[in-house]
Amino acid sequence: MTLAPHPQRAATERLVREVVRSILPGVSEELIGGKRHLKDLGADSVDRVEIIGLLIERTGISTPMSEFSDVPDIEAMVDLLCREQQR
Amino acid sequence: MTGPERSRRTGYGIEALNVWCGLAAITVPELFRGRGLDPSRIENLMMTRRSIGLPFEDPVTNAVNAARPVVDALSPQERARIEILVTSTESGVDYSKSVSSYVHKYLGLSRNCRMIEVKQACFGATAAVQTAVGYLASGVSPGAKALVIATDVAVVDEAAEYSEPAAGHGAAAVLLSDDPRVMAMDLGAFGNYSYETLDSARPSPRFDIADVDRSLFAYLDCLSNSFADYASRVEGADVSTTFDHLVMHTPFAGLVKAAHRKLMRESGRPAADLQEDFARRVTPSLRYPSTVGNLCSGSVYLALASLLDSGAVTEAGRVGIFSYGSGCSSEFFSGTVDEQSAATVSAMGIAAHLENRADLAFSEYTELLEENLKCLVPVQNRTIDSGRWEAVARRAGGRKEMLAFTGVKDYHRQYEWR
Repeated sequence: MTLAPHPQRAATERLVREVVRSILPGVSEELIGGKRHLKDLGADSVDRVEIIGLLIERTGISTPMSEFSDVPDIEAMVDLLCREQQR
Repeated sequence: MTGPERSRRTGYGIEALNVWCGLAAITVPELFRGRGLDPSRIENLMMTRRSIGLPFEDPVTNAVNAARPVVDALSPQERARIEILVTSTESGVDYSKSVSSYVHKYLGLSRNCRMIEVKQACFGATAAVQTAVGYLASGVSPGAKALVIATDVAVVDEAAEYSEPAAGHGAAAVLLSDDPRVMAMDLGAFGNYSYETLDSARPSPRFDIADVDRSLFAYLDCLSNSFADYASRVEGADVSTTFDHLVMHTPFAGLVKAAHRKLMRESGRPAADLQEDFARRVTPSLRYPSTVGNLCSGSVYLALASLLDSGAVTEAGRVGIFSYGSGCSSEFFSGTVDEQSAATVSAMGIAAHLENRADLAFSEYTELLEENLKCLVPVQNRTIDSGRWEAVARRAGGRKEMLAFTGVKDYHRQYEWR
């Protein structure tokens, strides 16, 4: 039996897929997640700035962008976004 | 005979501004081709060329070659009023002896002058400019001038990957006084934001390190927070309406575009306006940085020169300026400019200087890089084989007399005018 993701996590994952595809339209949805870094999807530094900026804006969190500097992959990015939304 | 009559602007600020960005350059597509980098990345980088030093150029020659036209334009009496000389550099040539001591000699400045070298990554020059303007405005030495020169060389190679095409070479000279023909500072209108981080650094004279995401995110956090600090000091400050022009530290123009978008989104400006606003208020400042690369602490002053030389400043207006240095420290400040500011900077001939640089082939570039990586390494004796590179230098148009680095003799750097 697998546990269904928490509704907020599922919504955050959907948002991440939507935002990433708005900046990198050629990337297929199933690749956006897990242990992949945004770099693995072909995001250059400006793309990454745009993606993180949009995610902060769309989730309404007031987290500094610098908090995302050490995020190793998309899964950890979703974790951070979820934690910050619960603050 | 006297020169054309000038209206004297009041206050304190920038009297003259010039840049020196070397004799050689490489186009960004040529560097991408040579390194096998993905050309689709050029669009976000927003760079077309970058300056490359020749082995007879170093932080001292860059500083002197940038400042000499500024100093030469002064009368002997005015020159004697340069009472403070600051060099800002992350390309120091000695742990103790400053670049400014050499620069003072070759500019022929008064011996009654306070000299210092500062280091705060790409923020150093702004720290010096703001400190000097405060000193001038204090009135302790009425009529004094301060000369701040941001000067650096690049020590990056292919290890820097996509940062290599954005590295620059050169210097910006900023003369400050109570005759602010280029820009009158809005005294008291500033905001700072600084904290410790290791986003980029130069731990050795031969290489830089950089954590790209950490650095770009820190830059953008600092922009938002330094503007917030500015707005807390300046009643009614609004990033959309207070400034006719925006100038930012430009490690590469693509970052400034992202920074503008972030600042405007945070101000609640409709997304539909962003492109027009960027083209009108920001793009004029990006033309020179896009053809030079990152001048470190001189970058924001290269961007200011670009704005003033762009034809966009045709009447009195206010410039919002953001300066950022890794490590990290930042400031948002402002000043006023007008058509005289544009004419004063235009007289320096910066556009022609940049256009005249000799474009290198990739093979010449890689050969040169080996020599350039020795530039800051401390050695007791060294002779610069500049003859080998004179052929390249001769390809640069509009050559004028310049200071050249000839070598090191018992740790003492040697220079000559050529």
